[in-house]
Amino acid sequence: MVLLFTAGCRAKVSESPIGPSVQLHAPLGLPPVPIPPDNPPTEATIALGKRLFYDIRLSKDNTLACATCHDPEHDFSDPHPISLGVGGAKGIRNAPTLINVAYQSSQFWDGRATSLEIQAASPIADPLEMNQTHKVSVSKLAKDPVYRKMFTDAFGSKDVTLGRVERSLASFERTILSGDSAFDRFQYGGQPTALTPAQARGLALFINPIKGNCAACHTITPQYALFTDGKFHNIGIGVNDDGTLKDAGRYHETTVKSDTGAFKTPTLRNIANTAPYMHDGSLQTLEQVVSFYAGQGNSNPYIDREIKTIHLDGQERSDLVEFLKSLTGKLPPNLEEEKSHP
Amino acid sequence: MTRFYSRLWLCLPFALVITGCKSSPPPPTAAPAKPAVSYFKVDPATAGSVSGKITFSGRPPARKVIDMSEDPACVAAHKGKAMEESIIVGNKSGLENVFVYIKSGLEGKNFETPTATVVINQGGCQFHPHIIGVQVDQPVEITNSDPVTHNIHPMAEINREWNHSQGPGDPPMHRKFVKQEIMIPVKCNIHSWMHAYIGVLNHPYFTVSKEDGSFTIANLPPGTYTLATWQEKLGTQEQQVTVAPGGQAVINFTYKGRS
Repeated sequence: MVLLFTAGCRAKVSESPIGPSVQLHAPLGLPPVPIPPDNPPTEATIALGKRLFYDIRLSKDNTLACATCHDPEHDFSDPHPISLGVGGAKGIRNAPTLINVAYQSSQFWDGRATSLEIQAASPIADPLEMNQTHKVSVSKLAKDPVYRKMFTDAFGSKDVTLGRVERSLASFERTILSGDSAFDRFQYGGQPTALTPAQARGLALFINPIKGNCAACHTITPQYALFTDGKFHNIGIGVNDDGTLKDAGRYHETTVKSDTGAFKTPTLRNIANTAPYMHDGSLQTLEQVVSFYAGQGNSNPYIDREIKTIHLDGQERSDLVEFLKSLTGKLPPNLEEEKSHP
Repeated sequence: MTRFYSRLWLCLPFALVITGCKSSPPPPTAAPAKPAVSYFKVDPATAGSVSGKITFSGRPPARKVIDMSEDPACVAAHKGKAMEESIIVGNKSGLENVFVYIKSGLEGKNFETPTATVVINQGGCQFHPHIIGVQVDQPVEITNSDPVTHNIHPMAEINREWNHSQGPGDPPMHRKFVKQEIMIPVKCNIHSWMHAYIGVLNHPYFTVSKEDGSFTIANLPPGTYTLATWQEKLGTQEQQVTVAPGGQAVINFTYKGRS
């Protein structure tokens, strides 16, 4: 009864952040950070989002936080090939890194969420992930006086609502930015010696359409590099012995046949720290990833036409791996969990 | 090859026992959904064999060393010189690695699919074995014992063509070929020197010539057959052979090289 009553009031609660918005600084090699007009980041929403991000109370048995699978120790990715939910529930995909998610036009491997705000809370309720209804999450958080103060600071009242949770999480996630890597200093910073000779050779292969052809999807523009086209491609991961696909990927969202087995191009920022690779975590090392492409992946009826015969010898494959290691930027400070003061 | 071949024969008598137990006659018309196939049963009392030797005449071409230097990991994995395998002439001019099979004479007979798995390993950046025979639908297991990724690509024309990546330590792939096809060239999409050939037959009467060029096809029902040979560089040959009840036919082939 009490729950219903509060739920009824919730519609009137403002979900707009109060207070001055903060400018998110895009490091070298990244474009300005896109900000939705209805959720400008503020110090208070970022701080709240961060606390929520690390809060295990958002899972059914108080064991998992967002940070469990998007682990800051692994540059906000999951070292398990398939991410594990509450009680060891096994999902089907590897949790992607949150690095530079602010720039993505859709979220999840299959792009089913069109904004970070929409994405943010859905793993909380997913039975294979944190497995806790939003109602329960809201009531658990509302019991904590620290949250009541933080929601008040962020939104002007102590009310805990799903929308406020989503907006705060999204604002925190927008601060997980990586640029100013050796590659950026070479490409955009006028430092020709920032890359080693092997890395520079790897970059040349990366952008060469008849060699690596990587930049066909992992985009580099003259002004910045997100290393993703934001689109969905079937590169031949997760192919069964009979040529069918284990996970239909983007097809689940669009029901367009040619989207079968297609997944969103992931960023390559900080890729050296985010193993294992691919939507199913099936490749353990960058060497394996490069070799996977060098061999044209796994044939299946929906493979992307960009997956074509290329020839990369051992030296070239090694140069590409070296280049990928040059994409590791330093993450901003203050992303780590706040240790509560006694 | 020899290992697989002997395994194939081991399972045959076993298969026959099972078939033998189903004493009731098979239904005259097979249901379209799951046709009840009656498998041909070789009578051990009259089964014969055909054997012989395949000879290379003329001066054997020198085998070339495979240059794996473009992938140093392969050089390390191979341990020693890797020799090219397209023409291998052994002692007394015996021609190794010739695929030998019954091309005709078995029409109308259905043979049970063996359950024995044929293994193709990618080791030292070469395929092992180099020449492979399997029966239609027989399980084929593909393994990678190398520290590098391979991408096996059977360039089938009658069966489905596919390629599949297999990294170091990856689990075996399990495949089969559903139609008769002689021969399917196999390559690795990453290492251009890697080649193998797979012969897929709808009966068990095939083998690969040994180091000395010899071959034996055993447990054959008596009859007259076309025996064919296939060599990747030197082409195909055919001869008629009659196997008497319990007989051991002998038939030899010669491939001419440059004199």
